Amino acid sequence: MQDGYIGFHNISKRFRRGEIHDSLRDLLPYIAKRLLPGGRKSTDLEKDEFWAVRDVDFEVRPGTTLGLIGGNGAGKSTCLKLLTRILRPTHGQIEVRGRIGSLIEISAGFHGDLTGRENVFLQGVIMGMSIAQIRQKFDQIVEFSGITDFLDTPVKRYSSGMHARLGFSIAAHLDPDVLIIDEVLSVGDHTFQNRAFGRIRDLATSGIPVVIVSHQLDRIAELCTDVIVLDHGAAGFRGTPVESIGWYLAGGRAGHAEAAMQTTAIGLQSLQVIGDREVDSGAPVRLELSGRVADDGPGDEQIVLRVSSTDAGKGKSAVVGGTATDHYGVPLPERGPFRLEVTLNLNLRPAVFAIQAFVVDRKTGYDVSPGPIAYVQVHEDPGFIGMVQLNPEMRLIRVEPVEAPAPPAGVVSG
Amino acid sequence: MESARALTPQGDIPEARTTIRQDLTEVVTDLWKYRELLFTLAKRDITVRYKQAVMGFAWALLMPMLLVTAGLIIRLAIASVSGRTLTPGTAGVLAVKGLCWSFFVGTIAFSSASLTGASALVSKVYFPREVLPLSSLIAQCFDTCIAATAVSMALPFLGGRFTPALVWVPLLLLILLMFSMATALFLSCANLFFRDVKYIVQILVTFGVFFTPVLFEATLLGPRFAPLIMLNPIAPILEGMRLTMFQGHSLLEPLMVLSAKGIPVVAWQPWYLGYSAAWAVGGLGASALMFHRAEFLFAEYL
Repeated sequence: MQDGYIGFHNISKRFRRGEIHDSLRDLLPYIAKRLLPGGRKSTDLEKDEFWAVRDVDFEVRPGTTLGLIGGNGAGKSTCLKLLTRILRPTHGQIEVRGRIGSLIEISAGFHGDLTGRENVFLQGVIMGMSIAQIRQKFDQIVEFSGITDFLDTPVKRYSSGMHARLGFSIAAHLDPDVLIIDEVLSVGDHTFQNRAFGRIRDLATSGIPVVIVSHQLDRIAELCTDVIVLDHGAAGFRGTPVESIGWYLAGGRAGHAEAAMQTTAIGLQSLQVIGDREVDSGAPVRLELSGRVADDGPGDEQIVLRVSSTDAGKGKSAVVGGTATDHYGVPLPERGPFRLEVTLNLNLRPAVFAIQAFVVDRKTGYDVSPGPIAYVQVHEDPGFIGMVQLNPEMRLIRVEPVEAPAPPAGVVSG
Repeated sequence: MESARALTPQGDIPEARTTIRQDLTEVVTDLWKYRELLFTLAKRDITVRYKQAVMGFAWALLMPMLLVTAGLIIRLAIASVSGRTLTPGTAGVLAVKGLCWSFFVGTIAFSSASLTGASALVSKVYFPREVLPLSSLIAQCFDTCIAATAVSMALPFLGGRFTPALVWVPLLLLILLMFSMATALFLSCANLFFRDVKYIVQILVTFGVFFTPVLFEATLLGPRFAPLIMLNPIAPILEGMRLTMFQGHSLLEPLMVLSAKGIPVVAWQPWYLGYSAAWAVGGLGASALMFHRAEFLFAEYL
């Protein structure tokens, strides 16, 4: 066991869109082009080419868990493939010290005609374990997967859940110096998911450098010490999980860039938390929104504040509450700068919430422009249950015990 | 970390410059490091081939046996046209040559598809890609060994002769193995980049037997064409096997035979051996180098 280290220094990776020459027929023109003088620089982009990863730079040292988040096609998986040497960067240097354990496509090596037992050895060796190691951990792997009874059944007869569980169990018993995880946080049924997540958490907190890619932002928030938001191949934002996830949910660079442009009648500049950003559940937070109304007046626009949870699953609505200027009859100035003070009681579960101001068209109800964003955190509270702060009040009333009358003889009670 | 950065200059060079020797050493050390993977994959191929197969190990014998039968039919036809009878050793010669040929053909057929067939692995997991075609080759070796055991037991009854010339046989097998390895590496890599390579392989498998002295002796082609067919790198291996195992001929001596018309025909020249060996060694070096240098592109082109 050595000290693991991941250095991802100014990495760029160029890809081609569409077909690459796939038959010998297309090869000759390609060779001719390459042999002609005036070789290309590796920073050039030809037609149909794009940067899948552009100047991404990070280091992961022991004790750090780095999360990579971003939309589909943002370059997350490409980064992991570069890290695991499946792809080679167009430029930049990658340095990985220690044995890489990668939880990517955990059952890629399975062969349907082989039994579970045979596949454990096959997949284990493919993932870089030695046969001796697998033999030593075999019982643990099988027990973890919970498919002991089907060990001598060909894998093609497994349900997809069993398939994934066996794959995960093998991967989870690698002894890596460096761990790379891609979207394998939701494997199998609920019980197994918890077990798998527990295992990943153990590995991630064991002090080795870890890189995780996932769309499950709550898991990212829980596991990572550092999160990079990838946006079209580039690192759009980097910070603590809370900040990064907030930035990502607020629409990334596009959202922020739009907010900066004043194309609407109401321009919003900043949203700031006054006082403490971390509060107890149910406590008020004070916010100040500053903006400006164009000379033509606010027109049909109003300001809406939305509070979203940062850990909602994919496709779920993240908005947990909000308010609007219209709703409270707050008049907006005819023109010029303004400041709006808002107090919100966060009757919410312990988590990080993003509060964002939007300019909304009163008639259509559509967002005209997303505005600035602020983050608040509701303190961890071990007694909290569910989604909403119910402000429970409990009072115990002592009742003197009353002697129950003895049952008449001959009647069997119970 | 700083020191490592200083060692490898940062720049816009897509591929680090390495020498041929460095690359070839890397191939060997990589393969040694991943030897367990190599043999596990070979074992997988073998297990899968014989699982749920009615014929079991008879499969390994089928292809060489068909070749022997085909050869006997052709030789019978040739013999009846030229008014001769079949020599007693014919079946033995055909069995040995057929075995070598079916090993070569089987290797290229399975290994050329080994990379494209494992696309899930190649695009998801890192390991030296050489193990994929080479594990198909090992699986093919296993099949051939089963058939070879059967043939070698029958050999004393099929005209095989126990002479000192048999020392050449291991060398010939080594050349065959290296040449097959070279072809396997080259074709699997080429097939990944150009999908029409698999049709070329099919043509090779189907028609190669006519351009190689498998079912016939090179000398049957007469004084002009016998040396020509020996330019096929596999021809000297097959002819060498025949001459050493059935005629006890030392490969360091040239050999002339008389054709049916009484014209002398070159059956063997000592440089034939060097020629084949050069193809095997040079080809293996070149294809291993090419494979290794193209390897990092595999995941992108699949």
